[in-house]
Amino acid sequence: MSDTIQLSADQCDCLQEVVNVAMGQAGDSLARLLGVFVTLSVPKIEIVAPADVHRIMEGKYVSATRQAFQDGKGKDGLRGEALVVFGDSSFRELAELLQYDDEDMGCVAEQELLLDISNVLNGACLTGIADQLGEELFYSPPSILGQGERIAQMLERDNLHWESALSVEINYKLENRSFDCDLLLLMPDTAISHLAGKLDQILEDL
Amino acid sequence: MTALLDDALRDVIDRLDVGVFVLNRDLEVLFWNSFMVANSGKSVSEVIGRKLPELFPELPERWLRKKVDTVFILKNRSFTAWEQRPYLFRFQHNRPVTGGVEHMYQNCTFNPCRGDGDEVEMVAVTLQDVTDLAMAHRALEIARDRLEQSSRVDGLTGLFNRSHWEQCLVGEFKRSKRSGTEFALIMFDLDHFKAINDNYGHPAGDEVLRAVGQCLQQLIRETDIVGRYGGEEFGVIAPDCDLDGACGLAERIRTEIEALSVVHEGLPIHVTTSLGVALCSAEVESHEALIGHADEALYRTKHEGRNSYRVYRSG
Repeated sequence: MSDTIQLSADQCDCLQEVVNVAMGQAGDSLARLLGVFVTLSVPKIEIVAPADVHRIMEGKYVSATRQAFQDGKGKDGLRGEALVVFGDSSFRELAELLQYDDEDMGCVAEQELLLDISNVLNGACLTGIADQLGEELFYSPPSILGQGERIAQMLERDNLHWESALSVEINYKLENRSFDCDLLLLMPDTAISHLAGKLDQILEDL
Repeated sequence: MTALLDDALRDVIDRLDVGVFVLNRDLEVLFWNSFMVANSGKSVSEVIGRKLPELFPELPERWLRKKVDTVFILKNRSFTAWEQRPYLFRFQHNRPVTGGVEHMYQNCTFNPCRGDGDEVEMVAVTLQDVTDLAMAHRALEIARDRLEQSSRVDGLTGLFNRSHWEQCLVGEFKRSKRSGTEFALIMFDLDHFKAINDNYGHPAGDEVLRAVGQCLQQLIRETDIVGRYGGEEFGVIAPDCDLDGACGLAERIRTEIEALSVVHEGLPIHVTTSLGVALCSAEVESHEALIGHADEALYRTKHEGRNSYRVYRSG
């Protein structure tokens, strides 16, 4: 889609900086929560159209969750859905870190683990972004979008109504364990415009 | 005014039809509303100041500590959903008569309560009874499974219906082309079936079809796929099967059906079958062509005396 909202080069830089700070805080929170050393790569951010989302982890079988967020200011405010897409990560090790008991680790416990990690990542990242923008966000409970499927299949079935998405690609390493995931912030155009406005304010204040 | 409002709010929270309780970081109970009293059977004075895992030893303590810690550290809400964790407390559900469930399904939210500084001082947990939702969801799942089943199965014989059986045939045909392996198709119908309907009536004919369906299900291998193709016509897909194997299976079907004795209104009805066998080798171009081959062999059986099988030969 060519009519996707584009951010200016300055806005992009500013957003990158905001996301870097937020993800740094998220990494710090994760480290304190799990009691392990966390390193993370610089998040890669991009505004993408729905068609492009299918390229995320293309061809791979993934698990994904969704969680709605909004700033309580109605339809012109900051709102959207956060998708977390997990690659082939070792759930058993993550489960150990989150202290799930072994006997719990069935399919359902794996789902709960996905939801918990998503909630932590979304909460940390989005709250981090919102804080810097001077906003407060409210979250719905997360839910499972799909497991062991291709992302295209999940999204096709869901027929999502959004125009653009802010894609934040993050890669965490937890000591000697590593896990990859993509965090996607799907937002309607009005919310991305709102975001652009907030970025302009930050740029002016500099 | 504010004090009055605070009292009123406290009263509302106490009477909510939702469980509300507040914990400190040591999991000591600081608040416990009426919903929690009513469902846990533990009064406010029994629980206040005591640690939750001591009060409810069945709670997964390690997990609960981590969950509460998450809220303190991340200053962020955390959730549990009935789909993954059916309940936190093993409460009775409130439909003991119409229930059909053993316990109350629950959705919980763990909310951070910040003090004067920015630090989280307490965690307020809300617990929603979602038993009705869970029950409706489960009923829907059962209905969906049944629907899926009934859309594939022929009601009378219990075999796959034509459309699902043909889908299976298409799938098997593609798999065979990909892997270069052969499989066999047997088409057959019951001899002089019209006469059974004419002489004994349609209920008798139905009885025969039902018996044939049962007989076939017991006869075939687990990997074979048998369906009702038309009125009294059937098909068996036999994966990884050569001509010898298929002929053996065809003969078994013939003898078993011949041996059937369907008793209708005190009278035994006997039935025989004519079969056609075709092998799906590399030259066969489509699944329709394969059915054509098996049908051609079946017609030859009919011509040459029935109650037997013939194998399709090309050319």
